[in-house]
Amino acid sequence: MQDRLVTLARRAVISAASISVAVLAWAIFARYFAFPDLVPSPWDTFGTGASMISSGALLSHVGISLERVLVGYAAGCILGVLIGALMGRIQIVRQFADPLLQLMRPISPVALVPLSIIWFGIGDLSRYFIIFYGVVIIMIMNTAAGVASTPNIRLNAARCLGARPRQIFRRVIIPSAVPYILTGMRVALGFAFMGIVAAEMIAAQSGIGYLIMQSRMLLRTDIMFVGLVTLGVLGAIIDGCFKLAIDRTMKRFMEHQVNV
Amino acid sequence: MDAKDARSTWDDLSLHDVSMTFNPGGGSEYPALENASVKVRRGEFYCLVGPSGCGKSTLLNLIAGFVRPTSGTIRIGNRQIVDAGTDRVVVFQNATNALFPWLRTHENVEFGLSVQGVPKRQVSERAMRCLDLVGLRDHAHKFPYELSGGMKQRCQLARALVLEPEVLLMDEPFAALDAISKRIMQKELLRIWRQFRMTVIYITHDVGEAVLLGQKVAVMRRGPRSSVKEEFIVQEPYPRKPTDEIVITMNAKVEASLQEEVGDSLYAG
Repeated sequence: MQDRLVTLARRAVISAASISVAVLAWAIFARYFAFPDLVPSPWDTFGTGASMISSGALLSHVGISLERVLVGYAAGCILGVLIGALMGRIQIVRQFADPLLQLMRPISPVALVPLSIIWFGIGDLSRYFIIFYGVVIIMIMNTAAGVASTPNIRLNAARCLGARPRQIFRRVIIPSAVPYILTGMRVALGFAFMGIVAAEMIAAQSGIGYLIMQSRMLLRTDIMFVGLVTLGVLGAIIDGCFKLAIDRTMKRFMEHQVNV
Repeated sequence: MDAKDARSTWDDLSLHDVSMTFNPGGGSEYPALENASVKVRRGEFYCLVGPSGCGKSTLLNLIAGFVRPTSGTIRIGNRQIVDAGTDRVVVFQNATNALFPWLRTHENVEFGLSVQGVPKRQVSERAMRCLDLVGLRDHAHKFPYELSGGMKQRCQLARALVLEPEVLLMDEPFAALDAISKRIMQKELLRIWRQFRMTVIYITHDVGEAVLLGQKVAVMRRGPRSSVKEEFIVQEPYPRKPTDEIVITMNAKVEASLQEEVGDSLYAG
């Protein structure tokens, strides 16, 4: 217990130092090497951020972006696991879907923004779609890999223990794939955050992406920086929570399998 | 179900002219077994030895019903084997992959009963009894990765025994264990077999182990087109020791028979 506290404290100190050094470097650069209008100092950025928080503007942008991420991400995860599971188990589905996936994989969600607006309009539907697209492909690939990697003898063991195909799928194949699915979900979360900014940069009236894009018109680099820092902090916090949740609830599936 | 009642219906196992060809017609066609015939009496401890790649595991997979033979029939009594079933449970060599790593030891043992819809109360009771039998009661709440190699095999054994199988199929179950754990597990297996009296088909590449355990030791031809070449009956009563005279002479006989199959490659080294 004592040891764990010490290690934890040690890590916290190093993390704090790492961030402090970055902020310091930023401050020095802004102060001595750059025009203040182009590179706002950390203090200006934090000041702008603080006033945006107290006015409620920042939180409402964050809330809107998060809602969009959540909808697209959830839809992508659910459909991705279903399609991936089918691909992993049924050869003809895999052979049919694989070439399509390989073609779609290099197409970044950003490239789909204009098309998505034409198809789904300037409402949230087009933004859900962009995030969904980025997430679903990762989830399909990871789930299919996980499902296909279930050791053969584990399947045979389940068979001779009397499990029927449906039970084998639910009670053996899916649990065996959990580490892959969860890894995919963490990677996909990052992609969802990249997608949301792209989706909000065009034809949006709210959200962090809109905030950053709009600041360009006003030449308010400090607001841009607030947007960027917010994205970073938000992503890190959510990923941290995700990891914690996995450690707390999914430990039995992760132990001695692949590491997330 | 009372174990005694079930046992009265147990029957002999027979393979009749079983052939198994992998990828028939393909470029990588491989005839693993050809016209293999085996008869194992009910309750018999039957060991199979053979050079590596001779199709021992294929034979076991056929009996387990994981794969269907290209031709020939496999029967227990009058029942033809066409699929896997709880009357023939396998204990695999690779316990890490064979066990369900996300289930605790007792949950692994409960799996077979629970998928068949046995009431929960009964499930945990019967699982506990089997864990007791294999000496794992104190480790019931551990996950497989927390168990030693020997304990993992005990867990696999309990997982099989809880279903009261007519035939226990063992595919080199103790090959990955250290010498001492191996000896202990062999003794435990014999104790359990003598209590349950199920048929055991035990695959090994270790002649010494086969002679120590089996009532019959069958030697397989080298592949391809393998089959059972000859059977040796080991009369020595249990418990046997490696130093028993009959064990030593039988060892030499089986070894000689096996060596004909392996050829000079084994000792040319």
